[in-house]
Amino acid sequence: MPSKISIRIDGELVHARLGQTILEVAAENNKPIPSLCSMKGLRPVGACRLCLVQVEGLGRMLPACTTPVQDGMSVTTDNAKLRGYRQMIIELLLAERNHVCAVCVANGHCELQTAAAKLGVMNTRYAYRYPNHKVDLSHSRFTLDHNRCILCSRCVRACAEVEGAHVWEIGGRGIGSLLVCELNRTWGESKHCTACGKCVQSCPTGALAEKGFAVEEMTKKPEPVSRIAAFREVRP
Amino acid sequence: MPNLSFQEQEFLDGLIAKHKGRPGMLLGLLEEIQESQPRKYLPMDVLDYISFRTGIPGAQIYSVATFYALFNLKPQGDHTVCICRGTACHTRGSRTLLERLQYELGLKQDEDSGSADKLSATTADGKFTLRTVACFGQCALAPVVEIDHSILGHVNEQALERQVKALRKGGHH
Repeated sequence: MPSKISIRIDGELVHARLGQTILEVAAENNKPIPSLCSMKGLRPVGACRLCLVQVEGLGRMLPACTTPVQDGMSVTTDNAKLRGYRQMIIELLLAERNHVCAVCVANGHCELQTAAAKLGVMNTRYAYRYPNHKVDLSHSRFTLDHNRCILCSRCVRACAEVEGAHVWEIGGRGIGSLLVCELNRTWGESKHCTACGKCVQSCPTGALAEKGFAVEEMTKKPEPVSRIAAFREVRP
Repeated sequence: MPNLSFQEQEFLDGLIAKHKGRPGMLLGLLEEIQESQPRKYLPMDVLDYISFRTGIPGAQIYSVATFYALFNLKPQGDHTVCICRGTACHTRGSRTLLERLQYELGLKQDEDSGSADKLSATTADGKFTLRTVACFGQCALAPVVEIDHSILGHVNEQALERQVKALRKGGHH
């Protein structure tokens, strides 16, 4: 099989390497697909479903982040149907927990907020669930606010794959899912946390933040985490 | 580091050795540990020890133990009453059964179960555990209640009350 292949993205013929995902190829060719759970250097999981694309000849949609490119593939990254689904996903994420931008440390630097703005989500047609989630302030340097978590598992993967501590995991199932620290300890009680902050920098929202930052002050820098991941070649 | 007796450690080491290297070893290991416990649950100290011994991150163990309804993190009662909350049973009045029994046993809704219709709670005296299940696949017998692994069909409040009363008197069977 040739390692260099060509595929069509929104009708445009582009070159790709075998083993790349649709999301990577699209980004390289200036056709960014919205995504929340994917992060360069971390294993893709397809958790947020925001990057769903249509592949010609297939009846169902595929997540661009976990779908490897194939020669001759024709991908549609944007149309009314896809935009409708993406808006719905954002609305469901916003309705699921207490995403109150006005009082959030990540306001203005939040990937969920940016995605919502880009997709033109102004309000949600679903009733807010207003869950009563806890805020973990036990760590000396960082904070965890479950109310702002979208369960993208970027922190889980950054910690497990890049730092190698595997402090985080998603516990429970369905609507009861929650980010857990080790055996349901508070972050401060964690035995393996190295306080490296990779999870915080990987977090797309204000769920994980550094202490000492006020509203709108927490900017995230996931790029260094991706760079370290590239050095270590975490992907098999 | 572990808060377990030498016998317990030795027992767990044996189980770990038995499961080591098998794909998906954690599930089988946890299942066997839970079965070996008199109260049919996974104590935190044991999970801590498993993580320490196998090198499987605690977060992963906790994630698996909370994902599957099979695993209990709290001590279970002598008798388990499982009320089906599937659609067929719901239309035949399983909510009333659940609420009635909850009242009877003095149990409150589990706050950290996440969803409002999911329940797993044990009475303070450790006699009964009441839990809900999504479906037993016995919809023709709706409403279905499972008591200590035997299925009862077409249950009404009186029948359920009788069963619970009998269990309370008779103890083990």
